[in-house]
Amino acid sequence: MTAIQEDDDLVFHKISSLLGPLNEKGVKLTRDTDIIADLEIDSVSLLDVVMDIEDNYDISIPVNTISEIKTIGELVDAIHKIKKEQS
Amino acid sequence: MGLFEKFEGTAAQLKGLLAASPRDPFSVSMDEMKGPTRAIVKGKEIVLAGTNNYLGLTFQKDAIDAASEAVKTSGTGTTGSRFANGTYAAHRQLEKDLAKFLGYEHCIVFSTGYQANLGAISALAQPPHDVILIDADCHACIYDGCQLSGAETIRFRHNDPESLDKRLSRLSRDVKGKLVCIEGMYSMFGDVAPVKEFVEVAHKHGAYLLLDEAHSFGVFGDHGQGVCEADGVRDQVDFYTGTFSKSLASIGGFVASNHPELEYLRFSSRPYMFTASPSPANIAAASTALAKISSDNSMRERLWDNAERIHAAFTQLGFELCAGVGPVIAVKLANREQAFMAWNMLMESGVYVNLAIPPGTPNATSILRLSVSAAHTENDLDIVVNAYTNLSQMLAKEKAET
Repeated sequence: MTAIQEDDDLVFHKISSLLGPLNEKGVKLTRDTDIIADLEIDSVSLLDVVMDIEDNYDISIPVNTISEIKTIGELVDAIHKIKKEQS
Repeated sequence: MGLFEKFEGTAAQLKGLLAASPRDPFSVSMDEMKGPTRAIVKGKEIVLAGTNNYLGLTFQKDAIDAASEAVKTSGTGTTGSRFANGTYAAHRQLEKDLAKFLGYEHCIVFSTGYQANLGAISALAQPPHDVILIDADCHACIYDGCQLSGAETIRFRHNDPESLDKRLSRLSRDVKGKLVCIEGMYSMFGDVAPVKEFVEVAHKHGAYLLLDEAHSFGVFGDHGQGVCEADGVRDQVDFYTGTFSKSLASIGGFVASNHPELEYLRFSSRPYMFTASPSPANIAAASTALAKISSDNSMRERLWDNAERIHAAFTQLGFELCAGVGPVIAVKLANREQAFMAWNMLMESGVYVNLAIPPGTPNATSILRLSVSAAHTENDLDIVVNAYTNLSQMLAKEKAET
């Protein structure tokens, strides 16, 4: 449980650091942050951030999955699920 | 009310940008056409340097005559699908001519280039066992084809065969069909794909390669067959897609292939079956333009001469360009506001180019996209270079003041 929690935090921190340069308004990032609505970024920029995540974790995240994701928490969960499936 | 809320953010943003812009770049009306490179806009004649008229054939006499004749003999429209009453002898003949020109066994004509990609991708790849891998900078019609297909879609880094290789390696063994989609030349920046490397990576993994040569057909390769010809791998491309609305100076699209199974698309591709076929005039114009391209290399040579001249001039003026010498020469600007200002200034100087801003552009860049045509005269190009000279001086002045 503790291990998963820690890993979860690492993924969350990785995403936060990648979103940092796009977070022009300095919104506080939490699991509930709506990536497109709260950070006011466009859908193409989100796809590009996901590309960095893919290379970082050596996984492929389908566009179909990304289009269903709204919040940072959902993205964290999707990454864990895909890491498990593709490892 | 709820139906329209989603537009409000974009509408407000656009309104803000347009408030500071004397003209609206997204609603320019060509009030009167004066030829392939000139139009009257609000009473003023301008040079068209933001089209896809690469070979300049829109006013070619033989094509105009053939299109006029087709209207007289075959009517103004087909009123039906290729699948029903909309296939005339001319549609079939154009499919044969395109296949022959490109060196493939099979070809299917669609009503637009957009529908050719939409129709090919959505029919070829199907969930749950097929996967589509697309270059991140692919055109909207390729993205839309993936969405219509519903198959799992994975993006790889733009023009990066290694990034594709990694993603193909990660795929589960349960995957049946793998379709890789790339373009020959990308329309916004004018950059060219390493098609040979992509063919090698795709085939190494047992994937099929779909290559969209919409902007490179007629322009690249010794015979104008596209980037795949220039790269020496034309015969290894599984599905070659293209359009009539650029070098062929008409409207319509096509998919060509050596796989006999391409013919299955005629009864499984919704964008082929559920729309009316191209009108006789469109087919006649495209057929005539194709015959012209097949027999005459001079337009392609002029296009490249013109491209070299503009590219050299812009480089000398110090502009940051998005790609090497080619028919699309895009200048990077600092931000949206500067791009709007620069676009307006070029219009004042009598030059129309395309303004492209995020999210319609890669890497969130704001650009002015110029396209060169074989039909551009020395005088047209002088006007273009003068306008950009004024622009570079103004940008230098603006930079010095800040």
